[in-house]
Amino acid sequence: MAGETVADRIDAARAVLTPIQAATGLTFAAGIAFVLVFLQDPLAHDAMHNFRHAAGITCH
Amino acid sequence: MLYDYLRRGVQAGVIAGLAYGLFMAFVANPLSEYLHHAQHDHGHDHGHGHDHAHAVSETTTAIVSVGSGVLWAIFLGGVFAIALYFLEPALPGRGAGSAFVLAGAGFLTVSATPWLVLPPAAPGAEQLYTVELRLAVYVGLVALGALVSVAAIGSYGRVASRHRALGLVAATVPIVATTVVLSTVAPTIVSHPELAGELVSAYQAMAALSQAAIWAILAASVSWLERREATSTAGVVGPNDRRSTSS
Repeated sequence: MAGETVADRIDAARAVLTPIQAATGLTFAAGIAFVLVFLQDPLAHDAMHNFRHAAGITCH
Repeated sequence: MLYDYLRRGVQAGVIAGLAYGLFMAFVANPLSEYLHHAQHDHGHDHGHGHDHAHAVSETTTAIVSVGSGVLWAIFLGGVFAIALYFLEPALPGRGAGSAFVLAGAGFLTVSATPWLVLPPAAPGAEQLYTVELRLAVYVGLVALGALVSVAAIGSYGRVASRHRALGLVAATVPIVATTVVLSTVAPTIVSHPELAGELVSAYQAMAALSQAAIWAILAASVSWLERREATSTAGVVGPNDRRSTSS
């Protein structure tokens, strides 16, 4: 553990993750972020209205 | 190991999400609805599509808002845990210390820095700019917030090796400088013509404190789960399993 660097952690992640898995994870995260923070469709916008206001998200 | 971090992050997200969901259900939802109605009663149009034609019922809004709050905390928990996995070696502090440093950086990046230009708006706010422009500005400010966090942690690391308290002062310099510059330069782009200033401040404080609380709960839960797993693995190997005596 001691003396470990960020590069070691990246190498360790490379060893357990395929690029496809990493891409899938990133897509998932981006999807959730998009829906919660950016999606402006009136249905989604109105339904998440209180959440976006209370969380200080700049939706409208 | 990456999977262990992610699992703990999502578990911590569920813990923070339960707390934040309850907060949404019992504080933020009723307050937001109240502010919404209080301004409707004045009865004049101030040009907000969402003030009038509602696409969904209030009940739907309340339920989806609670669900979004839970999902938001789980999302932050997952991102937080992955970032902790990669950045832990570079963070100051050991164990829980580094988790709290990263949580602070997360709050600074995702919420605090963007709020210097785009402050939390109460329902019924009038915005100067279009939503597209604001979302673009938001993305830019998240990037700036990440840079400020890196600068703060970097200057702590450089100075703290000589003197720890001076390191803490050095860490606040980039944060204070950004706060001062952005809050003087940024135009006031949101106004609440029909709400008392104190009420708007209270609403913004509620938003800020609740977001900060999510990050604090995430950091505390992730390090709690990590300690608990460490002791239970040690217990399986060792003769006195602490789980059997405590439960």
